[in-house]
Amino acid sequence: MKPKDNEKQAAAKRNRRIRIVGVVFTLCFLVVAAKAVYLQAFAGDALSVRAVREYKRDYESVGKRGNIYDAQSRELVVTAGVVSIAARPSRINNPAKAAEVIAEILGMDQNRVAQTLSSQRPFVWIKRDASPRQAEAISTAIPQGLEFIENYSRIYPNRQLAAQVLGFAGVDGNGLEGIEYYYDEYLKGKPYRQTVVRDALGRIFQQEEASAPDTEGKSLVLTIDANIQHIAEQAITRAVRRHNARSAIAVAMVPRTGEIKAIANYPTFNPNAFARFPRSTWRNRALTDSFEPGSTLKIFTAAAAMESGIDPERSFVDCEDGRYRIGRNVIHDVHPHEELNLNEIIQYSSNIGIVKISEMIGPEALYSTLRRFGFSRKTGIDCPGEIAGILRPYQSWRKIDNATIAFGQGVTVTAIQLVNAVAAIANDGELMKPRIVREIKNPDGSAFRRFEPETLRRAVSPVIAKQLREMMNAATDREGTGSRAVPDGYTVCGKTGTAQILNASGNYKNSDYYAIFIGFSPARSPELAVLVAIEAPRGKYYGGEVAAPVFEEIVRESFNYMNVPPLHASPFLIKEDGKPA
Amino acid sequence: MFDRRLIQYFDWSLLLLTLIISGIGVGLIYSSVNSVEAVTPSKIHLKQLSWLGIGIFIMTCSFLFSYKKLDRYAPVIYGACAAMLVAVLLFGKTVGGSTRWLDLGVFLFQPSEPAKIGVILLLAHYFAKHVKPWGMGIRELIVPLVFVMVPFSLVLLQPDLGTALLLLLIAGTMAVFAKIERRTFFVLLAAVVILVPLGWFFIEDYQRTRILMLFSPESDPTGAGYHILQSKIAVGSGMLYGKGYMEGTQNILSFLPEQHTDFIFSVLAEEWGFVGAAGLLILFLLFTAFGLNIAYGCRDDFGTLLAFGITAMIFWQTVINIGMVIGLMPVVGMPLPLVSYGGSSVVTTLLGIGILLNISMRRFVKD
Repeated sequence: MKPKDNEKQAAAKRNRRIRIVGVVFTLCFLVVAAKAVYLQAFAGDALSVRAVREYKRDYESVGKRGNIYDAQSRELVVTAGVVSIAARPSRINNPAKAAEVIAEILGMDQNRVAQTLSSQRPFVWIKRDASPRQAEAISTAIPQGLEFIENYSRIYPNRQLAAQVLGFAGVDGNGLEGIEYYYDEYLKGKPYRQTVVRDALGRIFQQEEASAPDTEGKSLVLTIDANIQHIAEQAITRAVRRHNARSAIAVAMVPRTGEIKAIANYPTFNPNAFARFPRSTWRNRALTDSFEPGSTLKIFTAAAAMESGIDPERSFVDCEDGRYRIGRNVIHDVHPHEELNLNEIIQYSSNIGIVKISEMIGPEALYSTLRRFGFSRKTGIDCPGEIAGILRPYQSWRKIDNATIAFGQGVTVTAIQLVNAVAAIANDGELMKPRIVREIKNPDGSAFRRFEPETLRRAVSPVIAKQLREMMNAATDREGTGSRAVPDGYTVCGKTGTAQILNASGNYKNSDYYAIFIGFSPARSPELAVLVAIEAPRGKYYGGEVAAPVFEEIVRESFNYMNVPPLHASPFLIKEDGKPA
Repeated sequence: MFDRRLIQYFDWSLLLLTLIISGIGVGLIYSSVNSVEAVTPSKIHLKQLSWLGIGIFIMTCSFLFSYKKLDRYAPVIYGACAAMLVAVLLFGKTVGGSTRWLDLGVFLFQPSEPAKIGVILLLAHYFAKHVKPWGMGIRELIVPLVFVMVPFSLVLLQPDLGTALLLLLIAGTMAVFAKIERRTFFVLLAAVVILVPLGWFFIEDYQRTRILMLFSPESDPTGAGYHILQSKIAVGSGMLYGKGYMEGTQNILSFLPEQHTDFIFSVLAEEWGFVGAAGLLILFLLFTAFGLNIAYGCRDDFGTLLAFGITAMIFWQTVINIGMVIGLMPVVGMPLPLVSYGGSSVVTTLLGIGILLNISMRRFVKD
């Protein structure tokens, strides 16, 4: 009996052990289950979001941005489809061979590519912004382990040409400055959502079309002519260097239509790498900065005088031998004169003469004429950042203001205002709205909108405009201050200006000068109105010496390019024997 | 000779459970490798089915004769397993830096899988003879320690730390179950507590990283932490009811690595949610209970120990595998029994279940 008891006891003990093991094992399962509950019921929401984020991404994509062309349909700004190439090094079968192929196609250093491909990192960039053709060649040669990310790059093929006019777009494709900013709503492509599903290797296996044509932005055709723009930029760049000047502006426009052919700024920048240039170079200073116009304003005072009935031939004024006191102020002339009529006042640019004329007609007449020529008003040019300049209402003028404004002190203008006002004289007194964009085109090339010439208002009567042209023509003859502005074989109507720049303490002591020339050519049927303003030249600083030759250069070269016939060309182009002369 | 009671006592419920779990496995494997993207649908689930067929055949063979014969042949079987492990080191096929397989021409065979059964058999054989009512002392434990250290070392050399540690775990569990003297037990427990931290300095760098990743997978989400993080994301994103069969995004898009082998549980958890995961856990818990019940019902020491050892083997593999998938344990190569894809594992597990059925149906037989 005893052995059996023992056996029973042993069996009972063993069974107890098995039950204990059962409990322990169950506890282990419970721990596992608890963790599963935690993951799935409590952390589940967050982990679900993560799971979705891993494979599915919504991209807010934007269609291709529109191009910008000049008046002759030459590309000024283009959007190029580029491909950025990246690699997942661990998935490349033969890294050495791949490095060789990639280096050859992209023109990179083979060792550096090989080094990149041997990286331990899961994802490395090889090249950003490669051409689609290069990417195609590489993807054919290496079917595995590479990734090609398509995107767009804004390219300014002419680098600094018309940089301040064009402005630039940021990396996200938004226009930030210039035309790019002003016409952004037309240029930019339409946004569209793009859902990309990727697998763990980053392979995209569900993607919409990279850019549908109906998401593309519209393109612009400018009135700017790249050649004239280039001529203007070259001319002012040389002038700035020659005269050691601080900066320069040149504007060329067509008087009849208001079309701007060139706006040149110096110093300039390269919009392809705008961030590397000082912000001050981004500004289109022809619109955003104002200066005192100096003697160039005299022609508009003359216009006001003639409107008040002053006869430019017969009304003489005493020019006081170069010294004329108004209250505590003394006005000087560079060259002393005695009796001058209005024609001569403009021709010799006499300050005292024009002051006396201004005193004769009074502030209201001068003010209203200047206003009609557009001073202290924005021209409405289709470029951002334009300012109006300052011309205080005549009611607040003191006696001295009436005098100095007549020769362009105490009034500020922008380059675009000044050239537009001069162009009105060329255009028989009609003030046009200056324009930069001629046409907006749909992506398919059809016209979306054309901009026709727009008359702002009549600035002055045609008769007076003609008289002003004659005055301005005389100002550029051999005795006039602007004689150096005339290209061989052409006639010019113009006016010099030498304006002092207020110094930091608000007066003109030891001040720098603006050397200015404004005018148009040919005198009879003006093709171009041009402004040249050179800031702070060293040494010579008179407008007639510094700015007039730049005007001459721009007009001569532009007319050569535009095939404007010279006035004095020989009528005998063919010799009597029938051979070319 | 044929005893009617063999059929009467046959454990149909264990067999049914086995078939259900295996079926779930095939379904999950099918889902895991037949993602939307696959150009040529993989036939891997059919291969798993044929392995199950082979396994069930071997299982059937293993309960045709009495398990008591195994007692006699235990040393021979153990010896054969050890020999195969030596052969692996000499002629084995190297995949991914470890030499774990023998190339048998038509298929690859992993001897460390049957070696588990070999060790369980020999330990059951030894403990059954040497356990005193008051338990085993250090002296009695030296021999079984040698028994387990031989395959342990051979597997460690492959290297396959996971399987090697599983051998130790099974052996340790069996020894504790067989009864160890109280004093000896606490001395050994103390030794383990001291030695385990020391082990930190003997393991490879990558293994150390895996343990660290357990606590901070976010520190290297694309590198060492990738497995565990992706696995957790998959499991967690399944939430309560799952995304639906064949609908697991992390599975379809191959974010889950090794998803048809060691990480098969994450496919279940993602596609069937907590309901599915808990369901499979309950099935395995039932399986463990049935296994312990067989040990309970067996009347001889060898059978009890053998049934316990096999149950422990399947239990540990399950807990370690699922623990690893849900981020409770470091990543080790450990298949989920019957569910993970893999011929050697499936056949070995079914062989073990065959032995369990064998012990169960012969519990009435007296010597």
